[in-house]
Amino acid sequence: MKREKSKKYFWLQKLRVLSQIIFFSLFFILFLKTHYAGEDYLQTTVERYFHFDPFLALTTIIASRMVLAALWLSGITLLVTLLFGRFVCGWVCPLGALHQFFSFLFKKTRWLRPEKDDRMSLGPKYFILIIVLIAAVFTVNLAGYLDPLSFLYRSFAVYVSPVLNQIFSQSGSLAYSAGLKSVGQGLGQTLENLAFNSVFQNALLIGLLFLAALLLNAWKERFWCRYLCPTGALLGLFSRFNLFKLKIDPDKCINCHLCSIQCETNARPYPIDEWRSSECVYCETCAAICPTAAISFPWRWQAEKIKGVDLSRRKVLLTSLTALLVAPIFKITSHRKRAYPALIRPPGALPEEKFLAKCVKCGECMKVCPTNGLQPALTEAGPEGIWTPVLVPRIGYCEYYCSLCSQVCPTGAIRELTIEEKTKVKIGTAWINKNRCLPYALGKPCIVCEEHCPVSPKAIQLVRVETLTPEGKVVSNLAPFVNVDACIGCGICENKCVVVDEPAIRVSSIGEHRSEKNRLTLQVIGENEPQ
Amino acid sequence: MERRDFIKTLLLSGLAVKFTPEIFSQTTLPELSVAEGDSPAVITKEALKALGGMKRFVGRGDKVLIKPNIGWDRTPEMAACTNPEVVKALVEMAFEAGAKEVIVMDHTINQPKRCYIRSGIQNAAKEAGAKVLFAEEQRLKKVALKGEWLKEWEVFQDFLEVDKIINAPVAKVHSLSKVTLGMKNWLGAIGGSRNQLHQKIDQAMVDLAAFFKPTLTVLDGYRILFRNGPQGGRTSDTKLMKTVVAGTDPVAVDAYGATFFDYKPQELLFLKLAQDRGLGKFELEKVKIEKRKV
Repeated sequence: MKREKSKKYFWLQKLRVLSQIIFFSLFFILFLKTHYAGEDYLQTTVERYFHFDPFLALTTIIASRMVLAALWLSGITLLVTLLFGRFVCGWVCPLGALHQFFSFLFKKTRWLRPEKDDRMSLGPKYFILIIVLIAAVFTVNLAGYLDPLSFLYRSFAVYVSPVLNQIFSQSGSLAYSAGLKSVGQGLGQTLENLAFNSVFQNALLIGLLFLAALLLNAWKERFWCRYLCPTGALLGLFSRFNLFKLKIDPDKCINCHLCSIQCETNARPYPIDEWRSSECVYCETCAAICPTAAISFPWRWQAEKIKGVDLSRRKVLLTSLTALLVAPIFKITSHRKRAYPALIRPPGALPEEKFLAKCVKCGECMKVCPTNGLQPALTEAGPEGIWTPVLVPRIGYCEYYCSLCSQVCPTGAIRELTIEEKTKVKIGTAWINKNRCLPYALGKPCIVCEEHCPVSPKAIQLVRVETLTPEGKVVSNLAPFVNVDACIGCGICENKCVVVDEPAIRVSSIGEHRSEKNRLTLQVIGENEPQ
Repeated sequence: MERRDFIKTLLLSGLAVKFTPEIFSQTTLPELSVAEGDSPAVITKEALKALGGMKRFVGRGDKVLIKPNIGWDRTPEMAACTNPEVVKALVEMAFEAGAKEVIVMDHTINQPKRCYIRSGIQNAAKEAGAKVLFAEEQRLKKVALKGEWLKEWEVFQDFLEVDKIINAPVAKVHSLSKVTLGMKNWLGAIGGSRNQLHQKIDQAMVDLAAFFKPTLTVLDGYRILFRNGPQGGRTSDTKLMKTVVAGTDPVAVDAYGATFFDYKPQELLFLKLAQDRGLGKFELEKVKIEKRKV
């Protein structure tokens, strides 16, 4: 018999790779565009990808009991999946593309050798999905940790961005020291223009998880997509009609198993009755590599059944029970009892409970923050708030005329603000530590916090203080005094304080507008309505 | 050189000085010029004209660096940064005088790009053909300032690589040095932990001014910030003075600027320190000033 591979599917496979490249590039371009480009309001909806994610939409709507109009775009994804199966996973998802690329590399280097008849269960992702959805019913939003878009964007914002920053600045200084001034200048100025943030707390953890996810492709092809991805699981459950149906021509098939061995997601095209349509991402690999061109995907009306994954009632029930026990753990924290001083949320952040229910830890706000001040929380926000954004003024302050974080939030956990509104939102209050403040403690002049205060009239005023020195001399200096009602908690004072290790002026969350409890001065009802 | 030649040259040059127009004769030119008028650009140009024109300071093929105050993310109406039209006029004049390259830069306090854009300076200077650069951390170099207090500090090398420096500050109040004018503007040419300089701000300003020695200082007093300095935030913190002061003596320029805020120059410690250091004179009575209105 004549052995010839299918030309059509060879080109379809190439087309799929092209599609992945395009969608990944688009993702990366939007990532690059997520910064202050010279205008107060971003001209592009840089967070657009997230709106198409039905898993994020569903979890967030359930957890917050609120609906965001833009999330309806995820309905398109569901509709496409309902009719055609998990095309989105194979052709569009940027994380899928990355995993596919690394699987390809590992295959080429022979670190990844796909096995014949791999029986490892594809179930975990479905159980992850169930746990996340049930937790959402209890208002705990766990979607962001394993959602592919959140995972990818967060890894890029917190890990890839600093890496890019270092590449630019290192090669820039190399160019300068090699005497190539114009090259060095080009790199240096570009870096300033692109604004890659350079430092992140617990970037090590986020970076290592990202690398680990990529390395797992050396064990199983598209490991993430097969076993972990809850969005893939959701789409798998929604894939119903799979209008392009796998077909193996029995006359041509030589039972070589090549298709099933090389299947990216272990959807088992061979034997045909074992094909798991809900796992197939239509990568076209099987049809393209079939040595006799026996495989094709003709159009056919007929619903498919979910196969191959043991979603027995018992297992689903057990998982659900586990979720019932797991979800409350995230709520058992003293953070629920009392406000936490270091928990300074971005301006526009919803009240903490709503914020936690909506935030998907994607890192968009951390990428766009011009001062690098927004950082992924580790302990500041309790177990529910791991990797949610907190302002760490010692790293970066909240820029006065900036509302970018509120513009990029994909789920509305940070309410969109105009610059005008933003300058009036109080996110905390500054406190002076007189034991460390130069005029108070040492009798030395310093007004740095006062001159940096962006509020007019200034929230930091100056008072004359006298300090007794060991020589018995009384020195008189101007010293800062915080007007707590005028202070908006931006933290530039803390950031610029010359006592760098433990600043003599620090911002804590008290007085934040979004909270009714975390208040300092009593507001008379009807007067000075909080923003 | 032969004795005869020497005498000839001496005689000839003596005649030349006597009969050439004002522009070539140093002795009759003012040290300070003050121009008042409605347009920041026009008064900037007039102030320079009164000093003898930009040609007096910038030569053909010179690399010029103009150092405005672009410290804050504020619009020109807030008077926190130098007026963009003043900067633009300076760039234009530098090119007209034959400059090969004009660089405009500052080490900002808020995010650099924001300051460059909202101040209007990036746009204005670029329109006039200047190279507008962000201060790059890796261009910092520790140099011997040989000051009385500051022995060494990190300076942006861009300032060391040009032929001429023009200081273009804006007039504002400041809680520690009382006013921030030309000498305080040098804090934007350096890196390091410059906030520590506030512990002895007057001395630091003088040490920096002695190091940078600008060819020319052009003080923007078009709109001054008299309250909530040095960044203000409301137009009500500002006052229209519609004045530009230019001069070769940085101390005299600052002394004149102090009068905008009703300070007598002798009330300002940094002016006294600067004069003691030999950087110029703050006693305005002793300075040759030319005032013009346009």
